[in-house]
Amino acid sequence: MGELAGRCAVVTGGSRGIGRAVAQALAAAGARVVITGRNAATGAGAVTSITDAGGAAQFVPADQANPADWPGVIAAAEGGEEGFDILVLNAGVSGAGPIGKTTLGMFRHVCDLNLKGAFIGLQNGVAAMRRRGQGGSVVLVASIVGKIGVADHAAYSASKGGLRLMAKAAALELGPEHIRVNSLHPGLIRTDMTAGFDEPSMAALAPLGRFGEASEVAAAALFLASDRARFVTGTELVVDGGWIAR
Amino acid sequence: MSGRLAGRTAVITGATKGIGEAAARLFVREGAAVVATGRDEAAGRALESELTKAGGKARFVQHDVRSEGGWAGVISAAEAFGPLDILVNNAGVFLVKPLAETTEADLDLVWQINVEGAFLGVKHAFGAFARHRRAGAVVNVSSLMGQVGYPGAVAYCASKGAITGFTKAVAIDGAAMSPKVRVNSLHPGVIWTPMITSQFGDDLALAEAFAADTPLRMIGRPEYVADAILFLASDDSSYMTGAELTVDGGRGAD
Repeated sequence: MGELAGRCAVVTGGSRGIGRAVAQALAAAGARVVITGRNAATGAGAVTSITDAGGAAQFVPADQANPADWPGVIAAAEGGEEGFDILVLNAGVSGAGPIGKTTLGMFRHVCDLNLKGAFIGLQNGVAAMRRRGQGGSVVLVASIVGKIGVADHAAYSASKGGLRLMAKAAALELGPEHIRVNSLHPGLIRTDMTAGFDEPSMAALAPLGRFGEASEVAAAALFLASDRARFVTGTELVVDGGWIAR
Repeated sequence: MSGRLAGRTAVITGATKGIGEAAARLFVREGAAVVATGRDEAAGRALESELTKAGGKARFVQHDVRSEGGWAGVISAAEAFGPLDILVNNAGVFLVKPLAETTEADLDLVWQINVEGAFLGVKHAFGAFARHRRAGAVVNVSSLMGQVGYPGAVAYCASKGAITGFTKAVAIDGAAMSPKVRVNSLHPGVIWTPMITSQFGDDLALAEAFAADTPLRMIGRPEYVADAILFLASDDSSYMTGAELTVDGGRGAD
């Protein structure tokens, strides 16, 4: 029996990349997983990858940043026998460009999806955890770009840095109810988002000398979600091959 | 034997009580062979006997982390089980004393045990990893006080802050080895162990006061920290090095 048996988890942006790996890891640990995303085809693929392995998962088409989509997500999470107490807010978009060429519309697009979307998810997920009254764990998937500056990433940095401190504020507010909130900060991870990156030259940015695998970020998300992290809240977990250590 | 550390060999310093003892128990349960070190021979022998009687691989080696000569014996005790895979630099002393009353001897004691002990551990473990070409993992137990200040803990905060920086430097050195060695630091908040109770007293009312002052409204237990040490020592953190993991119930978030 897995360490998350009897639990239900929601993973936003769970159809691809890091989110998909997180959904797979939580399901492999015994959780029933509700995957959200905007693409039904990739969502179905993520669900199949889990059910084929004997896990329990369903896809709910939803945009993390659209408040109207959340009641359906929460209903799916609360619809089984498992207790909904794990929320991984992973959905996000990248966005690069110099400040002079970043329009306000582009800035809003990145911040709305990454930061405002996570706030909406946090608000809805926490409301459900409070109704149940048995605590929970929320993981905000940020980035090392929410810890250090990267040129030409003003909007993305703002959104990810915002997640880092939103997690701390939420941790302080929700701690008395045993709802833990932490941020996770991946470095360069091999996903669709980094598919166009020049890995042979960029891998050296991390002392470990390679891009990380989505499964390696997922193992960290699983740690934060699980009772192994029952005294961990309001902190930042960096999974970057050592990039920001130097 | 199954478990997250099946087939691995680990050294845990300061393992006769508190966090180190909890880590030794957990590591053995997860399949590791553990050399537990410390200065308290009676407690160490009792732990060794308990773990081996339960079928685990464990050995106590009496050692003061400040003794460089003793480190060779610790490493060879580990290598009697198999090549060294994991070092947990956990041994440490706590001191709360106002700045004006802190003597040079106080500072030296805290520095030598907390920082020089960890330095010697990494130096000898890296040598062992290189000899046997092992992709080792080191966990340096720092403290929340290695990230933020605490009233009257000048020497302790200085030593734990040093561990935070030392960890990042040796993480980069470890990443240059072949195979690569990972080094991360762990930052416990207030954990109810003899280290705390010897300083403040083992008093339920005090424990409750610390809990009330912690966002999660819990007092820290050594087992909670042991789970985090296991995470950093195991393949679960295979893409982490030079990173900090804080286990403090949220105390450091404000």
